[in-house]
Amino acid sequence: MPLLSVCDLSAAFDTEDGEVTVVDRVSFEIDPGETLGLVGESGCGKSVTALSIMGLLPKPAGRVVGGTVGFRDESLNDLPAERLRAFRGNRIAMIFQEPMTALNPVQRVGRQLAEAYALHAPSAGAAAVRSRVLELLEQVGIPAPDRRMAEYPHQLSGGMRQRVMIAMALASRPDLLIADEPTTALDVTIQAQILELLRDLQTETGMAILFITHDLGVIAELCSRVVVMYAGRIAEQATARALFAAPRHPYTKGLLASIPRLEGEPKTVLTTIPGTVPGVGELPAGCRFANRCPHGVDVCRERAPPLEGVAVGHDVACHRWRVVEAA
Amino acid sequence: MTSYFIRRFMLIVPTFIGVTILVFAVTRLVPGGPIERMLQEAAMAGADVGAATTSFGGGASALSDEQIDELKAYYGFDKPVVLGYLEWLSKVVQLDLGTSTRYSEPVWDTIKDRFPISIFYGITTLILTYGVCIPLGIVKAIRHKTTFDNLTSAVVFFGYAIPGYVVAIALLTAFAGNLGWFPLSGFVSDDFDDLGTLEKIWDVTHHAVLPLMAYTAGSFAVTTMLMKNSLMDNLAAEYVRTAIAKGMAFRQAVFMHAFRNSLIPIATSFGSNITLILTGSFLIEQIFNIDGFGLLGWESLVERDYPVVMGILVISSLLFMIGNILSDICVALVDPRVKFGSGETSQ
Repeated sequence: MPLLSVCDLSAAFDTEDGEVTVVDRVSFEIDPGETLGLVGESGCGKSVTALSIMGLLPKPAGRVVGGTVGFRDESLNDLPAERLRAFRGNRIAMIFQEPMTALNPVQRVGRQLAEAYALHAPSAGAAAVRSRVLELLEQVGIPAPDRRMAEYPHQLSGGMRQRVMIAMALASRPDLLIADEPTTALDVTIQAQILELLRDLQTETGMAILFITHDLGVIAELCSRVVVMYAGRIAEQATARALFAAPRHPYTKGLLASIPRLEGEPKTVLTTIPGTVPGVGELPAGCRFANRCPHGVDVCRERAPPLEGVAVGHDVACHRWRVVEAA
Repeated sequence: MTSYFIRRFMLIVPTFIGVTILVFAVTRLVPGGPIERMLQEAAMAGADVGAATTSFGGGASALSDEQIDELKAYYGFDKPVVLGYLEWLSKVVQLDLGTSTRYSEPVWDTIKDRFPISIFYGITTLILTYGVCIPLGIVKAIRHKTTFDNLTSAVVFFGYAIPGYVVAIALLTAFAGNLGWFPLSGFVSDDFDDLGTLEKIWDVTHHAVLPLMAYTAGSFAVTTMLMKNSLMDNLAAEYVRTAIAKGMAFRQAVFMHAFRNSLIPIATSFGSNITLILTGSFLIEQIFNIDGFGLLGWESLVERDYPVVMGILVISSLLFMIGNILSDICVALVDPRVKFGSGETSQ
């Protein structure tokens, strides 16, 4: 039984032009202990998907308009706010892109950590909370934790802050960690450290991770399976191995081709995908990638392609994947 | 941080000298003064005695030149501005504010009598303003764009748009004049000294209702809207989302996380309220005939009672400067990122 099953999830936002669906019938599953990568360009709906799972869409502008989110045998989107709170931070934890703004600037990090733990362990005494905070800080590799816990977020470096965020997420030993671009705001060297930390923590605790990123390199390093999103829809999903070895969707192919490679000829033109992602107000009726797709034909512009099985565990939403493959 | 505040306190001295020099010079430069006022009074007294009394030469002066010189010497107007100022300053340093030309009693005594009244109104206004604005701002932020929010906005801006003295006159006419629910004027009743403790409290409260309404009507808008907007900014901040992602209830997140952050802009203006406590509003004091600081300042200006004007200036400018330092302390208290003067940069 999967840990998390997202089924036909749709989310919409109120804009000046009316309600706009930014996540359109997205489905995927995460097994216990697995790492699933959710990849796509900025604005493709990755973060909104994550926030929808947590019930954290900004109110009143955003809302889930369809589909279900199942966690084990509970359906999260039917739960009253109070019951949902028992999951947030407890069974499902989340870390965010900007560790600076995600921490309260006027509270000591120790207190923010203690809060995360105490919320789900109301019977824990002050001493127990303190020792758990120290343990967590140690677990995420923060030196001199007893001194660090008395500091404010601005006294820590970006990497340290993200470690604090991770420690906070781990406080109640969650089954699933949703990591929304946790390394995007960090230096490359720090990025590597944080990824390594996440991998180690996963081995240690056995939690599943939903890793949201636009960086395919990070996916390759961390994830066992990948969901590729484009303009609010799933374009392709497969195991990381299959996706990198044999991408089927023209968008995935384009993304992979856009990565500069060390073994390539130096100082050649970087491959890019021409055009831009359609804005939320101007989504085409058919395949949303049609206007940028080198293989686009009439049917692509008229009808949205359904997800089709390519192989076991490999689905693609493209009318022409067979043709493209044969070419 | 301590050295920063020591430096700030030391800076009071030159600022104080600058402010007082300026006002002292103005009192010397503008036409009219205590002597002219006395001449006027003497002339009027002379006119009362008998219109037949002939005045000296062409000048309508009731006093001889020698008498005028004597008066000038008495008030220190015979010396050049700089010397006069230094003399005044050396007295101020010895805590002697001089003698009121109007009441012929020490300035300090004149001012001292008004303190309890002004402090009573000032502190009550302060408590009312913050006591109403902060909770109101919080509720408005949480219920943004609801009927409650729109209605209260209309009310606070209505109060803000109408000058306090107009509110005062309207209240006075309606509730004291026509309905007779409240006394017309004064701080306490004439028989105040004969009343028991409870009756005294009632009497002061009864007299204070209308003036306090007039004082506070205009002051709600700024602080309420500041609180509302600042809290809304913080509610949209990512750390509130983090708190909710941790499993906190929204309401809890508001008070545990967003609240303190949204007090930062409020704290910056807190210290300057200390001056408002004393200066009050002379127009409202005039309307309700409350013998406070504002009224005293106004009257002493009109009557050219310069020692009192300077005395009030000394006290209010000192309070203003201390208030600014107090604001800094408040900000440092609510925002740990603020470090004064240590040269340490924080983001």
